[in-house]
Amino acid sequence: MLKEMQEALIAGKKSDVEALVGQALAAGLPAARILNEGLIPGMERLGVLFKNNEVFIPEVLVAARAMNAGLGLLEPHLAKAGVKPRGIVVIGTVKGDLHDIGKNLVAMMLRGNGYKIVDLGVDVAPEKYLEAAKANGAGAIAISALLTTTMVQMKNVVDAVEAAGLGIPVVIGGAPVTRDYADKIRARGFAPDAASAVEEIGRLIAA
Amino acid sequence: MTSRELVVDTLEFRSPERIPRQLWVLPWADRTWPAELAAIRKKYPDDIVQSPGFLTEPLKTQGDEYAPGLYVDEWGCRFENRQAGIIGEVKEPRIAAWSDLDGLRLPKERLSVDVRKVDDFCAASGAFVHARTIVRPFELLQFLRGPENLYVDLAERPDGLFRLIEKVHRFYLEELELWASTEVDALFFADDWGSQNSLLISPVLWREVFKPLYRDYAEIAHRHGKYIFMHSDGHIAAIFPDIVEIGVDAINSQLFCMDVEELGRRFAGKITFWGEVDRQHLLPYGSPADVARAVRAAKEALFRNGGVIAQCEFGIGARPENVAAVFETWNRLS
Repeated sequence: MLKEMQEALIAGKKSDVEALVGQALAAGLPAARILNEGLIPGMERLGVLFKNNEVFIPEVLVAARAMNAGLGLLEPHLAKAGVKPRGIVVIGTVKGDLHDIGKNLVAMMLRGNGYKIVDLGVDVAPEKYLEAAKANGAGAIAISALLTTTMVQMKNVVDAVEAAGLGIPVVIGGAPVTRDYADKIRARGFAPDAASAVEEIGRLIAA
Repeated sequence: MTSRELVVDTLEFRSPERIPRQLWVLPWADRTWPAELAAIRKKYPDDIVQSPGFLTEPLKTQGDEYAPGLYVDEWGCRFENRQAGIIGEVKEPRIAAWSDLDGLRLPKERLSVDVRKVDDFCAASGAFVHARTIVRPFELLQFLRGPENLYVDLAERPDGLFRLIEKVHRFYLEELELWASTEVDALFFADDWGSQNSLLISPVLWREVFKPLYRDYAEIAHRHGKYIFMHSDGHIAAIFPDIVEIGVDAINSQLFCMDVEELGRRFAGKITFWGEVDRQHLLPYGSPADVARAVRAAKEALFRNGGVIAQCEFGIGARPENVAAVFETWNRLS
């Protein structure tokens, strides 16, 4: 049943995922097992397919929607059982930038991989990332920019995190962003695409 | 030799006397570097120009497309913007539900072209003239539906999506037929199909849903003896063979997202490469020497007795000395 759930998720079949999660719960499977052996492996496989250009944004979006539907059914059970997320990530698009489809994709894939997401939206000032990270006990901050002119705002977030002594990694991404730029502004993480962002954040949070 | 003849020789691979050029300018550059931009324009005038619209009825828009705040385009799409000199983002889709589709007003004012004025403009210009209209079905669908909704539509394929595509496409066909009846040299369509390293949708889906639209646009141009030009940002190597196959004469793409040498090996001599030079990294952060190296590499890979137009965008963040270096280098290599 869990394997079938993975396949339904990758195919973006929301109602099938809901039905299978419901059946698994009714059969007495622990919610954590359904999550860790059904939904999350499905999203991980989807991430690999996306990275390899075997699926594209439309397929990822419908799979993420199916994932969210499944998660919605599991969440009360996970909370009751005291299951913690893999980590908490504050995410947003930098100040002055309204582009959010890349940021939303990363947020969806992180959520689908078991992270709690605090999504600050677009046009987010550096201090907002800090406030949210402190208030939620975040393990990482993920920031996105589409424009070469707004990309420079990323340094302000990194500087603010360093100045506050927060000690959590900042991971950056977006069309004009490169690993060199991440190194230059001392961002600890860089991801060229949404699937890589999940891997990079996982690596940094686990470190 | 006129600019028009230069461009035609380039498109036909007939060893043009000089590589023709065109500078694209975003309002940001006009505002940030007015003197430098004027000097570049004076020294390197465009060989390709766009006809004025010469509309007899004004478009029903609100606000300034390139100013911070709200701009409503002629289709009723509402753009929010935070930065002067660039366009904003649609945050509230015009077609939130398919029931909104019946109320979608077509911007018929775009069809009120004064053909005689366009023809006079073309006759008086020595340049290669593009039609004013920019046809962009994928982008328009994103503006109308909102990007995320549209991507989900493309996965789920509701009937409404295809009714919307049909409505937009019919309008574009009418508009292109109109412009093809003028004396312009080329029609133009544009959609951004690539991310940094892949297509945004699968090539299979692109071929099924969008390629037929573009084939229709190319057919109109060629039936009227015009050339057809295309623009797409991003990594579009996967659909390059299709673009060549439908008969696009010149493609403006982000060459430097892709493998320029590989593109040259596969497609040089089959299509004209209408620019560009890397505007994400080289033009804002490189040096004139870096730019010159990139231009030389592009010439080596892509030029086959023509088939290359020196083009770049003076857009947000670009350094004027780098933009000048693009055209200086192409001139030296001509």
